[in-house]
Amino acid sequence: MQRMLTMIRKEFRQIFRDRPMLVIIFIVPVIQLLIMSFAFTSEVKHISCLIVDFDNTPMSRDLIHSLHHTEQFDLTEMTTDIRQIDERMKRWQVQMALIIPPHFSRDLERHLNPQCQLIVDGVDGNTAGVALGYARGILSNFQEKWTAELTASSFHNDVHIIQMTERMLYNPDLRSQQFMVPGIVVILLTILPMMLSAMSLVKEKEVGTLEQLMVTPLKRYQLLSGKLIPFLLLSFFELFIVMSVGITVFKISMNGSYLLLACLALIYLMTTLGLGIFISTITHSQQQSMFVAWFSMIFLILMSGFFIPIENMPLLLQKLTYLNPMRYFMTIVRDIFQKGSSLRFLLKEAIPMTLFGLMIFTLSVFKFQKRVQ
Amino acid sequence: MKSPDIIVKTENLTRQFGRFTAVNQVSIRINRGEIFGFLGANGAGKTTLIRMLCGLLKPSSGEATVAGLDIKRESEKIKQKIGYMSQHFSLYNDLTVKENIEFYAGIYGLNRKQIFQKQNEISKQLQMEPYLDSRTSDLPLGLKQRLALATALLHNPPILFLDEPTSGVDPRARRSFWELIYQKAAQGTTIFVTTHFIDESEYCHRLSIMDNGRMIAIDTPESMKKRYKKKSMQEVFGFLIREKGI
Repeated sequence: MQRMLTMIRKEFRQIFRDRPMLVIIFIVPVIQLLIMSFAFTSEVKHISCLIVDFDNTPMSRDLIHSLHHTEQFDLTEMTTDIRQIDERMKRWQVQMALIIPPHFSRDLERHLNPQCQLIVDGVDGNTAGVALGYARGILSNFQEKWTAELTASSFHNDVHIIQMTERMLYNPDLRSQQFMVPGIVVILLTILPMMLSAMSLVKEKEVGTLEQLMVTPLKRYQLLSGKLIPFLLLSFFELFIVMSVGITVFKISMNGSYLLLACLALIYLMTTLGLGIFISTITHSQQQSMFVAWFSMIFLILMSGFFIPIENMPLLLQKLTYLNPMRYFMTIVRDIFQKGSSLRFLLKEAIPMTLFGLMIFTLSVFKFQKRVQ
Repeated sequence: MKSPDIIVKTENLTRQFGRFTAVNQVSIRINRGEIFGFLGANGAGKTTLIRMLCGLLKPSSGEATVAGLDIKRESEKIKQKIGYMSQHFSLYNDLTVKENIEFYAGIYGLNRKQIFQKQNEISKQLQMEPYLDSRTSDLPLGLKQRLALATALLHNPPILFLDEPTSGVDPRARRSFWELIYQKAAQGTTIFVTTHFIDESEYCHRLSIMDNGRMIAIDTPESMKKRYKKKSMQEVFGFLIREKGI
């Protein structure tokens, strides 16, 4: 016990004396949180829109008006020249164009089903899809309104339209930060423990102090727990900072239990700290371990559903994500934050995550020998 | 039967790395209180041998005991009995002198009071009072080396392994380092030291010369010079490498 405490004290002394390390631990995560949660927004707003109006009647102007009066669309220009669409899109000036054909209002009044055309810049498929969805919604509202008006003034009152009432659960304002910030929590609990434990073990290997420790009676578990406990505590401290910033600055709502989150985070840290030990056993310099850590991190993050929803992946990749411990924790953290899920609902993720954690940690500890290669 | 005076004993100790044989059938016996030197060029297998004896490396074949303990089965017990210092002077550069002593003493299981005593003792012995609270990285190399030695001896081990302890240190610092070694040996500590400085080999009680993993001579420096009719160890070493080397 005393030996372990000696190790822990030494580790903390070294961490707090290493300025670049302190910046990485305390400042980088907050900056990451701020930048990432503002930049990785899936909200689609202010789509610049070009209007080609060949009709130019009160009705067509009303349609344009209803597009204009939303947060989603900005009307950049009106034109009657179709060639402008291609020109403007190539210049990245507009992302969408609406073409209103001649005789649009006349045909609508005569129930001749006039056609409008929406042209969307499909380079960014996600945004294009969302923009198209918004525009459809606006157009169908417009149609409902005019159909009602037109049928009221004529004999055609046999039109029945289904009224839809919509309600968004868990994140009613569809704020992407509510979705992203918990994801960033997961990323931090992955990067930090993995990097720090790998780097600090490999650093000792590089300097030669690890060899010195290996010829002392210090037991393997004492050496490793002395190394890992400080990083475990730091990771929890980090979790606390990031959550505080998320809740105060981004007004994220935390609907679940803090205790449950902390317990599952502890289990997840077995995985990431274990990976750190593993990396330190297969590399010989800090550069090497940095490289291996980044490489595995990119794999973990891409396959976790952080940016790319797992359901959008090809089937084979979807299956592969079950091998990624981060995937489980990502779902767990998002569910706890947003849905306030209790353990009962999370067992499907918590059990495989625990198994992975135990496996990775045990294997790494066995791979870490008190011997040199 | 092993004699109580023999503290390190190896029997055809061999270590291979792939197809390369770093240590080839080395058999030695080292007596208690002896300063035993291992002389050889870089890559002769000195470090590999010392690492096997410290339990850092498993031998490929052969037997060895250190303080009566088998190096294959009882390597963790051996670690209580030995001090080890490598050419890296494995101190933490970002800790102060005091903190380094405190750390290694804690690892060896000394209590608060003993740690405090050791700090005083070392600072007096090495005249380190002015440096106690400075970072180890700021120490002059010679002092750093003597501090590394002191930390390796915190638990008063009966055997001390030194792996090229004087590489990179100036001659004056080397001399004061050897004085410390003599003091320790006089107190009964067995010292096992590797070096590639031929002049240092004269300081050893007994000496073994290694080349390409094989031991090509073992004797006292005096009888080696007599046997090969050379005036200095420098000449003996050159002669042996030419005649017996591979």
